[in-house]
Amino acid sequence: MARVRKKKVAVVQCTGGCRRQTEISKASGNGCQQILETKAGTVSCEYGCLGGGSCIEACRLHAIYINAKGAAEVDPEKCAGCGLCAKACPRSLIRITDAEYNIYSACVSEDAGAQTRKNCETGCIACGICVRNCPMGAVSIENNHAVIDEEKCIACGMCAMKCPRGAIRDYNGIFTVREAQVGS
Amino acid sequence: MKETYTFTVNGVERTTTEDKPLLRYLRDDLHLHSVKDGCSEGACGTCTIIVDGRAVKSCVLTTKRAVGKNIVTTEGLSDREKEAFVYAFGSKGAVQCGFCIPGMVMAGKALIDHVPDPTEEEIKVALKGNVCRCTGYKKIIEGIQLTAAILRGEAQIEPDLEKGDVYGVGQHAFRLDVREKVLGYGEYPDDVEMEGMVYASAVRSKYPRARILDIHAEKALALPGVLAVLTADDVPNNKVGHLQQDWDVMIAKGNITRCVGDAICLVVAETRAVLEKAKKLIKIDYEELKPVTSITEAMAEDAPKVHSKGNLCQSRHVTRGDAKKALAESKYVVTQTYKTPFTEHAFLEPESAVAFPYKDGVKVLSSDQGVYDTRKEISIMLGWDPERVVVENKLVGGGFGGKEDVSAQHIAALAALKVNRPVKVTFSRQESINFHPKRHAMEGTFTLGCDENGIFTGLDCEIYFDTGAYASLCGPVLERACTHSVGPYCYQNTDIRGYGYYTNNPPAGAFRGFGVCQSEFALESNINLLAEKVGISPWEIRYRNAIEPGKVLPNGQIADCSTALKETLLAVKDVYESNPGRAGIACAMKNAGVGVGLPDKGRAKLVVHDGKVELYSAASDIGQGCATVFVQMVAETTGLGKEQIVNKGANSEVAPDSGTTSGSRQTLITGEAVRMASADLNKDLQDAGGDLTKLEGKEYFAEFFDPTDKLGADVPNPKSHVAYGFATHVVILDEDGRVKEVYAAHDSGKVVNPISIQGQIEGGVLMGLGYALTEDFPLKDGVPQARYGTLGLMRSTQIPDIHAIYVEKEELLPFAYGAKGIGEIATIPTAPAAQGAYYAMDHVLRTKLPMENTYYSKKQKAVK
Repeated sequence: MARVRKKKVAVVQCTGGCRRQTEISKASGNGCQQILETKAGTVSCEYGCLGGGSCIEACRLHAIYINAKGAAEVDPEKCAGCGLCAKACPRSLIRITDAEYNIYSACVSEDAGAQTRKNCETGCIACGICVRNCPMGAVSIENNHAVIDEEKCIACGMCAMKCPRGAIRDYNGIFTVREAQVGS
Repeated sequence: MKETYTFTVNGVERTTTEDKPLLRYLRDDLHLHSVKDGCSEGACGTCTIIVDGRAVKSCVLTTKRAVGKNIVTTEGLSDREKEAFVYAFGSKGAVQCGFCIPGMVMAGKALIDHVPDPTEEEIKVALKGNVCRCTGYKKIIEGIQLTAAILRGEAQIEPDLEKGDVYGVGQHAFRLDVREKVLGYGEYPDDVEMEGMVYASAVRSKYPRARILDIHAEKALALPGVLAVLTADDVPNNKVGHLQQDWDVMIAKGNITRCVGDAICLVVAETRAVLEKAKKLIKIDYEELKPVTSITEAMAEDAPKVHSKGNLCQSRHVTRGDAKKALAESKYVVTQTYKTPFTEHAFLEPESAVAFPYKDGVKVLSSDQGVYDTRKEISIMLGWDPERVVVENKLVGGGFGGKEDVSAQHIAALAALKVNRPVKVTFSRQESINFHPKRHAMEGTFTLGCDENGIFTGLDCEIYFDTGAYASLCGPVLERACTHSVGPYCYQNTDIRGYGYYTNNPPAGAFRGFGVCQSEFALESNINLLAEKVGISPWEIRYRNAIEPGKVLPNGQIADCSTALKETLLAVKDVYESNPGRAGIACAMKNAGVGVGLPDKGRAKLVVHDGKVELYSAASDIGQGCATVFVQMVAETTGLGKEQIVNKGANSEVAPDSGTTSGSRQTLITGEAVRMASADLNKDLQDAGGDLTKLEGKEYFAEFFDPTDKLGADVPNPKSHVAYGFATHVVILDEDGRVKEVYAAHDSGKVVNPISIQGQIEGGVLMGLGYALTEDFPLKDGVPQARYGTLGLMRSTQIPDIHAIYVEKEELLPFAYGAKGIGEIATIPTAPAAQGAYYAMDHVLRTKLPMENTYYSKKQKAVK
């Protein structure tokens, strides 16, 4: 069966691994901004997804949802890569990437490793295992998190497989499990 | 209870309790050998399979993470898909060595399943993770396009093509090995499984130069499943070497290592897993010593001696006329120093061999470039008569010169004789990179002069090669660098000095182009500088000096009737001139055949058996397609079809020695022997009224030898080589300085297989572009820093449009239907042409490879 050619897709660079303290109301369309302003129910990581749903509101294709961990997640089957969600995210966590680069770093925390480990179950602790295992020399640690250079990346998935924290993800759900696949 | 992992493979549910790379499970447990192990690092793509509809590298995914997934390998394709891929890849010439092919097929299928009518761009992107070192990708892309068209019902399979009733010289011949390579059932050594087979692997040096103080093998030997740990003491004669026996099989206790590829001991174990464990238990005490890491260091008076006789491994002095005088009297003279790097062959198949006790000796199933060479080296090591060693080629997953020396074969033989069982030795990718000889790194100073019309007067040059830890083929490679540093022109004053020095870097030896890539890069660059001084175009200066039939080459050889350099220049004239400021041009020549007075013989035997003609000739097909070329020669001579001719491959027990696959020699030298034997057979066949069955049991043997003169022979016009191929390449850059197009015009005499030759040219050009722009082999104190993925090999998304042009003359050499061979020359002129294009663009002379300050180097830097 022929599927639509896909050029771009959105990825959320946070998996919501920090233990959220309070339930956040997603009633308002401007949820994330509101959370930021009121500081109510803010997640412990200051780089993570707020879970306020601004991206959901912005998406016309219903391709984004809040996963079991309270973070936004994109359904790559539905996403057209238009970029509206990326614009709506006040923390600039959503990146528009080429569909063939299905491996992405799902944490942009600039906290030191120890702090991230305290805050989050799945945050990047800048251990560098991905850097050592990348066959292409495409991964580096910048500002305490893994950054993949798409110019060099061949999407082999080695970094995602080796990451001890699950901070590098495969949105095709093959090398790493998508939240949706664990039946949230 | 142990955790179990269940998934579906090719429609069958499978369960395992082992958590390991899926690649190992598919190969070792399910024996799905289409899934090739090219690196096990995620870099090469040979192990690509389809998981839940996506192309995935099976070395990356594990059995544990594969739970519940649906896995398809080439073996699991539908019959319709199999036929489509076989036909499309065969008819488009997508298959050369074949080691990348099943991975390419799976990447292609994953794409076609999603996008039934993929564009060229989409295919390139889909293949980004799959490296091909032979084809230059173009033919594979075309193969996938045609497959898609067949599967859509828009193109048809023409069964006659594969059947090959018309299979003679010049025909669109469907290679013999397409089906087995596309579907992945063809056997490379690593695919061989034998009753009772065990595994061996060498523990190699941690340091390039260190004294081995002690080897502690007790813990390894105590591990259940370990059969033996061999050291230098167990080797009857601890020296091997292709030409010079200077290469220790293992470094003995008390001796000093020469490079990180050096073996110290050899572990033999029941399984791969035990083997890996045992290797880690071996403890070696080293006294680390300062390595010799450059030519300059090697030349220093107080330099440590890498070999006892000193660090100068080889030298050559090639001279004719009076270069000094000619240059002094020249109107224009250019002197420039150039530097080129080591280059890794990066063939997709890492070295592998299986050896087992056989008759009164040993048999080795091998991936190499000459079974008789391998036999010779092993027999020297064992101190045996060569006949006791039998070597047979399995499929060879690329060589490019890097499989001329023994690597896995001799240690497999040693281990097999020790444990009296079949032993497989397969190198890891890093082991391969650290061990086998590279293209020599060169530093050279070239002085070229010309008169006021741009006519060359003389050349003086000094070439320094870093031959690393061992000689390998340093002598002949250095010699070809010297003899070809003159270029395909006609001037008579040359003074060329060449020196090859030992260092503690990885060894250097044969690599497609055989020294000529280095020296012609330097020469062609100097030619551009002279053209500028004279005030004529780079095309014009080459045309004015170009060799033509009857004229005398700088080495004194009279150019034969087939010489068509000028035709190649004319073929690219328009395209060169229509891209001013964006185009670079370079010419090259390359010998076909070993020449220089050596007994370079081609041999072939034809046997009529069971109504078919069996061809016996030990000439390794390393992917370039000579096995098919020989069958085409038989077909041309006898009129028989492909199905009546069987090439029995390279096996030293049954096939006569037809020399090494080296020096672009097989098509011409062995091809002529095949033609001669075929002509004898055909005579009888005609007498028998064309009825082959009447010749049952008959044998036809032929040996071809066209003598040449040795280097410096005291004759007015020494004939160095049986033939030379000629070429002119034009490289065109786009606005950003990216290579947009390459026009590669070649004179290789009669074209035997038009599709194959295009693939050879395209692949050679891409290799040359890599040499010019992206490939490097950085060393830190003698230790290679690159992994397979960071060598800078060009990938499918980086390829320019390569136009392979061949000029065929009426006048041809009287051998092998006039074919001259294409293997090496396709790689030679590309780098200088690219360098010339950049010079035309920004007037910056780049004297070092890979070139600095280009679109490609900036890309590399920007992301570091």
